[in-house]
Amino acid sequence: MRLGMARGSATGRLAALAVDSPLRRVDPRVKLGLSLALSLAVMLPVEKLLVLLLIYAAFLAWAGLLPVAGRLLWRLKWVLVILFVVDWVLVSPALAVLVSLRILLLSASFAIVFATTTPTEFRLALEWLRLPYRYAFSIGVAVQSLGLIEQEWRTIIEAQRARGAWAPPKGWRKLLESARDAVALAVPAVVMTTHRAWSMTEAAYARGFDAPGRQSYRQLRMGWLDWILLGAAGLLVAVLILWR
Amino acid sequence: MGGAESPILVRAEAVAYGYGPSAQHLRPIDLTVRPGEFWLISGPSGCGKSTLARCLTGLIPHLYRGRMAGRVAVGDTDTDHTPLWQLAERVGFVFQNPTGQMLCATVEDELLFGLETLGLDRPEMARRVEAALRQFDLARLRHRVPQTLSGGEQQKLALAAIMARRPPLLVLDEPLSMLDSTAALELVMHLQALTGAGIAVVVFEHRAEYLKSIPELQVLSLVGNGHPSDIESLPRVPSQTNPFVLQVRDLGVHLGGRPVLDRLTFSARSGEVVAIVGRNGSGKTTLMRSLAGLQAYDGYVSASGEKPDFGLVYQNAELQLFNASVRAEILYRLQEPDMTWYDWLMPALGLKTYEQTPPLLLSEGEKKRVALATVLMRRPRHGVLLDEPSLGQDAAHKDLLLRLARGLAGAGQLVVMTTHDLALAAHADRLMVLHEGRIIADGPAASVLLDRRAWKVAGLAVPPWVRAPEGQA
Repeated sequence: MRLGMARGSATGRLAALAVDSPLRRVDPRVKLGLSLALSLAVMLPVEKLLVLLLIYAAFLAWAGLLPVAGRLLWRLKWVLVILFVVDWVLVSPALAVLVSLRILLLSASFAIVFATTTPTEFRLALEWLRLPYRYAFSIGVAVQSLGLIEQEWRTIIEAQRARGAWAPPKGWRKLLESARDAVALAVPAVVMTTHRAWSMTEAAYARGFDAPGRQSYRQLRMGWLDWILLGAAGLLVAVLILWR
Repeated sequence: MGGAESPILVRAEAVAYGYGPSAQHLRPIDLTVRPGEFWLISGPSGCGKSTLARCLTGLIPHLYRGRMAGRVAVGDTDTDHTPLWQLAERVGFVFQNPTGQMLCATVEDELLFGLETLGLDRPEMARRVEAALRQFDLARLRHRVPQTLSGGEQQKLALAAIMARRPPLLVLDEPLSMLDSTAALELVMHLQALTGAGIAVVVFEHRAEYLKSIPELQVLSLVGNGHPSDIESLPRVPSQTNPFVLQVRDLGVHLGGRPVLDRLTFSARSGEVVAIVGRNGSGKTTLMRSLAGLQAYDGYVSASGEKPDFGLVYQNAELQLFNASVRAEILYRLQEPDMTWYDWLMPALGLKTYEQTPPLLLSEGEKKRVALATVLMRRPRHGVLLDEPSLGQDAAHKDLLLRLARGLAGAGQLVVMTTHDLALAAHADRLMVLHEGRIIADGPAASVLLDRRAWKVAGLAVPPWVRAPEGQA
């Protein structure tokens, strides 16, 4: 399956950055499987985790996805710093390193899926996993809508500023006021998200969403790159398990 | 064309509906539609147009839990006894907001969605996708994300996605409301071509002037619940602003490496009503955001030497409303509100009776007026900026809007509005035409409307019914 690259939605924007990634040609089921395996592998002990992290970083570099993963992690910087400091102070430096590594890997594990998979491919992979179409479709739409929600959030902040109802928080003394202002942002956000969800529901039913004899146009097919990646992943799992 | 002997596609018999236990949002209506007929259903805001559209397509009663009276039959079966997917094969529905009906990540997938649910084989789906891309001139957009298309392109895509399913009846809810004049005229031509091919079209629309020249157009006017009587006469706006001149020099904005505004230079005086028109993407909203101080720009913008202080009312009023009552909304965060001004605003905007009502429960027109009140209550020193204020508004609300704009301008404020509605723009003191971030015409509305070269460059058609109001020409 070869789809045109989406631009503009959350996954689309990430995907557009990685438009030349070789992972664009990889079956979404393989990418989903690799990500799930990686998210389970975070339970490995610290020395194996470090090796895995290095291998995964090299893999991301090959796939041209280091900038995407870097941006994802940058968003988590405060969570990582706080957890690291708390674990260091309350338990031990070793645990602080282990927990940070696990969160790092867990967060980055799905970068390869979200950065290189269109919502349609994602839905097809979920359907292959025997998830009923209506749920797979809903999850695909939700993933696709992340970018819209982000965009709407920015518009709401701007609209509230335009009427003088919201100002960026300044200092701790403004905390209470900021909490009040958060309502000014949250209510329109909830209203807009609900409206959009309802509009999409109506639009889907108006195009036969509940029809029993639906046929999918897109088909998933495994290629040579998919098998190579699966083989390499299997080899890595075996090495990590057998390595003492 | 339809005749008494033609099969009936949809028949509504005394159909009425209320979303709540006691309210009636649609009064009893009879309607029979046959192949090839072109129907215009008109009526003021709140008269139940969208509700009737949902009754005809079966979304009511399948997805709504209100009270329905009467009967709607699609073909020979009642809608309430027929699954929605079967109704969707016989009635295509294009919703008012094209963005809200985009379900997929690309234009191509959007077209495929409705074909997959029909259970067609893959070669037939591919054929229909190609045909729809060609017919609706969407081929160059096939890999684009639908939400990144212009309003006109999205509307075309919404129509193409429905028409690829080849329903014999097409229902469109205010399809022209978000389109500029050129896109609106193109859409009407498309719809006429469909009726020529035997497809019945039912359009629910405020901007009826675009449809009235269609031969054999059948019109059904719904009766409204009346307009608020307290906005019939607008009290004089208290004078509040010292005269000023807004000066804009070499205003430039780049977004995503692309110039959206290209060295704009103009000035405007307090007391003017300025309308800005242009196709989608011409830079109208960016200009408004720049004047409101929400957009970083290059160049110089000042109001008689000061930083301009404008209030901006958004196209979608819901972005700005969140309080539990209209009163709380308008007075939110004001340390010492001017209650004399508040007492003037409430009747002037027809909001007196809604003081304790949650703003989000009001009609679209009323929400817009509350959003305007929140902005005016802040007493912006130089005036207001209205982004597409007439969107989805009926004639009475547009008239109110114009009177308000005039009142504010009379009190020394500057009122700037962007609009697709050339009939509304014709009533402004001054009309600016934007094209690719540049002003290509600027002057009294009457003379700009006659500037054929500018309209040609802008890619906008001036429909024959758009004339400057008396006294301006």
